[in-house]
Amino acid sequence: MLRRFLDWLERETGLVSAWNRFWSQPLPATVGWGHIFGALLLLCLVILFVTGGAMMFYYSPTPDQAYPSVQYIEHYLPFGKFIRALHYWAARIIVLLLIVHLVRVFLWGAYKKPRQMIWVSGVLLLLCVIGFGLTGYALPWDQKAYWGTAVRLKIAEGIPLIGHAVANFLRGGEQLGAVTLMRFYVLHVFLLPILVFLLVAWHIRQVHVLGVTPAWVKVGHEGEIPKTQRLHPDHTARIAVGAILLLALLFWLSAKFPAPLEPRANPLDTAYKPHPDFYVLWLHELLKLFPPHLEFVGSFILPSLLVILLLIVPFIERNPERHPLRRLPAVTTGLVILFAIIALNIKGMEALPEPEKLSPLAKRGQELFVELRCYTCHGINGGGGPVGPDLGLGGKRDPKKVEAILRNPGAFNAHTVMPSYDLPPEEMKALVAYIVSIGPNSKMPPIPPVEPEKPPSHFEENWFANHKFEVRKDPASCGDCHKPFFCQACHQNRRPSSHDEQWLKFHFGNAAEQPAMCNACHTPDYCEECHKLMRHDTKWLKGHGNQLVKFGELKKWSDLTMHQLCYHCHTKQSCDECHKGALPESHKAPDFLQRHGELAGAWAQGAKTNQLAQNTAVRKTSHQVCVTCHTKQFCDNCHIGTKPKSHEQPDFVLGRGTRDGGQVKSGHAREALKKGLQSCQTCHKQEFCSNCHGTEMPHPQNFVSIHVREARKDMALCQRCHTWNEPECRQCHSKRPPSHTPDFRQTHPQRISDGGISCQVCHGRNACMDCHKLPMPHPRDFVKTHGELAKQKGIKGKDSVQQLQRQLCSTCHADRYCRLCHLPATSQR
Amino acid sequence: MAMAEEQMTRRRWLDMFVKMAAGVAAVALSVPTLVMLIVPAFRREKAPWIRVGHISEFRPNEPKAVTLSYQRRDGWVIRTARTTVYVVVMGDGKVKVLSNICTHASCVVRWERSKQAFFCPCHDGYFAIDGSVKSGPPPRPLDEFQHKIEGGEIFVRLRT
Repeated sequence: MLRRFLDWLERETGLVSAWNRFWSQPLPATVGWGHIFGALLLLCLVILFVTGGAMMFYYSPTPDQAYPSVQYIEHYLPFGKFIRALHYWAARIIVLLLIVHLVRVFLWGAYKKPRQMIWVSGVLLLLCVIGFGLTGYALPWDQKAYWGTAVRLKIAEGIPLIGHAVANFLRGGEQLGAVTLMRFYVLHVFLLPILVFLLVAWHIRQVHVLGVTPAWVKVGHEGEIPKTQRLHPDHTARIAVGAILLLALLFWLSAKFPAPLEPRANPLDTAYKPHPDFYVLWLHELLKLFPPHLEFVGSFILPSLLVILLLIVPFIERNPERHPLRRLPAVTTGLVILFAIIALNIKGMEALPEPEKLSPLAKRGQELFVELRCYTCHGINGGGGPVGPDLGLGGKRDPKKVEAILRNPGAFNAHTVMPSYDLPPEEMKALVAYIVSIGPNSKMPPIPPVEPEKPPSHFEENWFANHKFEVRKDPASCGDCHKPFFCQACHQNRRPSSHDEQWLKFHFGNAAEQPAMCNACHTPDYCEECHKLMRHDTKWLKGHGNQLVKFGELKKWSDLTMHQLCYHCHTKQSCDECHKGALPESHKAPDFLQRHGELAGAWAQGAKTNQLAQNTAVRKTSHQVCVTCHTKQFCDNCHIGTKPKSHEQPDFVLGRGTRDGGQVKSGHAREALKKGLQSCQTCHKQEFCSNCHGTEMPHPQNFVSIHVREARKDMALCQRCHTWNEPECRQCHSKRPPSHTPDFRQTHPQRISDGGISCQVCHGRNACMDCHKLPMPHPRDFVKTHGELAKQKGIKGKDSVQQLQRQLCSTCHADRYCRLCHLPATSQR
Repeated sequence: MAMAEEQMTRRRWLDMFVKMAAGVAAVALSVPTLVMLIVPAFRREKAPWIRVGHISEFRPNEPKAVTLSYQRRDGWVIRTARTTVYVVVMGDGKVKVLSNICTHASCVVRWERSKQAFFCPCHDGYFAIDGSVKSGPPPRPLDEFQHKIEGGEIFVRLRT
């Protein structure tokens, strides 16, 4: 059947005999292992064609879909990752093989007459492969693709005169974007393949027609080498060995090292630094040799010269010798250029950032970094989320601080949304080691795709800011993908804004309307924690007093008393509805009314030791126990006019004179010191003390500093309790105050401007009277009444006025002072 | 003669080797490629369960239209799709989730409470509350979707 078909094909087209003729082509005896590279290059091209073609089925060349479609190939298709890696590695190996092939052909002198055009087509193929590399680079549309392409187009722009036009042609405009990607795609999968196909066909056809060059034979003497072998199977066997080795290498590389795929291209991410591929490093190094305004020499003129030189090699090197040693000038020039390129490339490789060398500990930390999804918020020199700072920036970090931040980010920034990570010590150590090791050259570790893939809404620019509103629309929809405690990863320290102070009071309504909202963060039994105690079922009423006590023991909200808990829902009146008339057990004792003051005090005492009261952390006065049910007015109903027994002591209010050497004098002060102010506050407010004492009582802590000011208001108030000789006063006031200068006696009238109150602080109320025997300073109506003074003072007789003057007035006033008014009798006449 | 024979065996052996190598290379290259191209064609993704609502939201014998919004994966593109279904709680408590597309000409049907029937306005088709044809041109009952009830929540699977 097959034979008949082949016979028919041969009759019609002659293809079968042409095929056989091709494979049975005789080859010179000197053809050997050095001649297999051309065939290996063809194999590489086939691999690239097949894998590229397979990927074309799934690739979409638009900026918004290119990256997801590459991800689709990588993660959703069987062998997708492998096929892409194979394409990636074949594209790199083909460049190396091309160079080897080129050098081999050059050294063998195989480009010499009549095979010049084989060389030219080969050089053109080399250019095509470089073109493939440049265009294929951009297609995954990840960070490297975008920024690498941006840099290359920028370099192209540097060429004088035509640069801008060329760059714009490649970009399809001024902007790197959708049009650029499509252009690169069409070049990569349509124009360049056609060109390569034609060139390869031409290349092979010529080799077939002109034959393989026998080694080391002068031009024109090729016939001297006998053709002892045939292409198949003598040479194809060598090719087969090479091909198997090449395939094994490629498969191993592809399986072991998948093609890199960086985060999706982000034109706004200026932190990203692209690094060129290894085979163009020497071009980048070349650029650096020139000053910026001559950059085009390195970027355009020298490479163009090199290409032109390569193209015209067979036409300028006309030495008929093929052996390298017999045409030293050409071989030396070629090798110098080759080594120059290799040297530049090595220099470029040294300039490349050192690949991260992570210690095993940091390696574990890197895994944790991915596991804990740190990358959702933080980038490492680009990539990652926009929420937190990029970890590649910011220089060296202090491990202790890093750990402190991880453990409690809120301590460093009160508004942070970063969750705190309370990791086991080893994991924490590893994560800290990794974060500390991150530098300006570090890269984001590969991030596994999230299953199922994020919905489009999550890619919106403001998603992070808006997610709270989206959650409210349909909280259950988050649960389709996220685990129940996903929210708490961030929200553990941050309550939603709705949970304000009033929240507890009103949460029931919200919870009833949208229970799913609560379940987004809380487990269903979260409600039970409170509500199983608080469930108001039929038994509730009977034991609710005890339940309240129990609840207090739970220490749930330590700032709430038990009753305040009730008041979240109920008003005080709702208790009164029942408790009006329903007495607690204690109230049922027959002598309760007589003993209730005592009991209230006992309860207050109990509050200090009672476990429950300490738990609720409430400083309760006895009053507050009563106030649970009674209003304050309730006490006043009876206590108006009725005083406790202690208050009946004669010296209770004012007990002056009993004080001796630091002892408190009045009964009520004694009582207050003994029983504590709280016992007073059972009935009285604090203002009650202050009302009588005219100043804040008991004296506030800073009273010493203000006591002079307070004293000046009304000295009498101080004197109600204090005398001037109390030891506390003397501690400070034993010395003369600084105002009392040696001439104080003469000048004190001028200094005393405040009515002498400041004197009274030390000298007592009658200080002035003691010396002056007169009210000092003189009262307002003194002029009118000073005549009466003598009578008052009991000075009698004819010259009573003179006597008075001598005794009192002359202390301050001169004799002539009287004469200002009292003119002598003579002048009156 | 022996030389030539030896030559022949060597040639035949090399020929075999080359053909085998070519075969191995071809298989190694084509198998992953073909698998990658062919497998997605036969991959059937299970339709996801979509939440419709709590059973308490629906009253017996009162079909209620619910518009479902869900993520649909189309290769590497993810779209949000919307579909409306009628949730019917029968008198005996059984739940049915019916399509709102008429089986005749794919018009949208609506529940007419006054007539106690789903009514298709295009050609006056009437379906009973359980989706069966009452009158008019529809050739078969309204399509019913697979559903399940978990903890009172109704879930529906839109593709069968």
